[in-house]
Amino acid sequence: MSPDQLTALLNTELGESLAGKVPGEQVTQLERLSGGANNETWRLMWGSTQLILRRRPFSADSIDQLEGNILGLSLVDEAAVIQLATSTSVPVPEIHAVFDATHPIGEAFLMGFIAGESIPHKWLVDDTYEVARSRLAFQCGEALGRIHSIDCSKLPPNIGPTTLEKRFAAAQKRLHAFGDISPVMQFGLNWLIDHAPSEASCVLLHGDFRTGNLLVDGQGLAGVLDWELTHQGPAAEDLGYLCANVWRFGQLHKPVGGFGEYDDLIAGYNSAAGWAPDLVTIRYWEIFAALSWGLVCQTMGALWHSGNGDVERAAVARRRSEAELDILLLIEEWELA
Amino acid sequence: MSQDEAQTTASDVTISELLGAVKGFLMDSALPALSGRDQFNARVAANVLGIIDREQQLGPELAALDAAAAQQWLPGDPGVGTAPQQLARALAAREIDANSHFFGYLKQRQLLVTAINNPRYASRKVAEDKWRDDS
Repeated sequence: MSPDQLTALLNTELGESLAGKVPGEQVTQLERLSGGANNETWRLMWGSTQLILRRRPFSADSIDQLEGNILGLSLVDEAAVIQLATSTSVPVPEIHAVFDATHPIGEAFLMGFIAGESIPHKWLVDDTYEVARSRLAFQCGEALGRIHSIDCSKLPPNIGPTTLEKRFAAAQKRLHAFGDISPVMQFGLNWLIDHAPSEASCVLLHGDFRTGNLLVDGQGLAGVLDWELTHQGPAAEDLGYLCANVWRFGQLHKPVGGFGEYDDLIAGYNSAAGWAPDLVTIRYWEIFAALSWGLVCQTMGALWHSGNGDVERAAVARRRSEAELDILLLIEEWELA
Repeated sequence: MSQDEAQTTASDVTISELLGAVKGFLMDSALPALSGRDQFNARVAANVLGIIDREQQLGPELAALDAAAAQQWLPGDPGVGTAPQQLARALAAREIDANSHFFGYLKQRQLLVTAINNPRYASRKVAEDKWRDDS
């Protein structure tokens, strides 16, 4: 959809949706932001207020639906979870309007703009964010502890509890569906099955809590974005995911997201939740995260093959090899520990 | 002999050189004239050309490594599909003893695959320092 078409549709819709909430009469300065291989992100002005539109450019029904949630929730469910998260003190944007897949705009939601830096290459290295970086691992632990305290009975029905056994079966099904092209992915899955921790109770996980989905300002964590991979699972999963090599943006010596230390993350979590997962289990989930990232890359390739997406999505499929490398590195470290 | 060397005999401009020319056009001419998503994708496209170039250089070595592995761990089995597929399926069926020798093959394979797809990935340097002498 072109920016002009989208502007026209939004103008028709938003007068009513935003009446009494956000002053304004028409959309101006609609611009697609870079990044986001799955959903589109657009920035726009409504009156003098900056807003963000998240939009899925294709119907989820247009591709084979495999068990599990690698493609993510519907944007309608994602908006519902963000609204739930506003009841905690986790910084999330305000949801202003939600459109389902039958709407001419397409599946989408409109949210408030949170000021902060979203580009990790800036806030991970710039001196302006030195204080922020020193606080961030603790703050992330704290935020995860709060997210995990959200009452799962209030979640949309699509976000149900699961077990490791089901997760393994879903991963195996995907590897088969993608043609069993990677011995390393299969080796990784076998290893994860053989070293699985005992089942822990399910909590609401953000599911994609990583450096690239954080907004950071001078004081630290300003916003938690991109809730499309939210699901239920053991608490350690979110912590391990944040520490996965692939999300450290080259700062491998800083295990928490390329900016912090394990101890601070665990202390922050403990301060909010009153307990914290142990480091060994967190590291198990780092390996699981590497496998998951590899599966996401394969899903991107499958989506592109089905005619959905541009050159970025085709290129992301090749990033599976990074996940594979990490799987081997992490398993070797684990075995030698 | 790499595919690029084979190509050189038939053309004055090698595949690598052609890819370099297109990459130069994308980065020097197209990219500054584009904005927003298109500009981002022009950069991605230039990177993709790098993948193609490296794959045509290193692909034969990777294929030979995989073929040797299939022969070693699946002897006498003509199999269906590519060597990596046969190995992956045998792993899924738990028919391969994934011992340290097999792990060594996977590590060497992955150094090559990442050399093609993203030689600058940070973990690759760590892996290369650790695994260089494993083969």
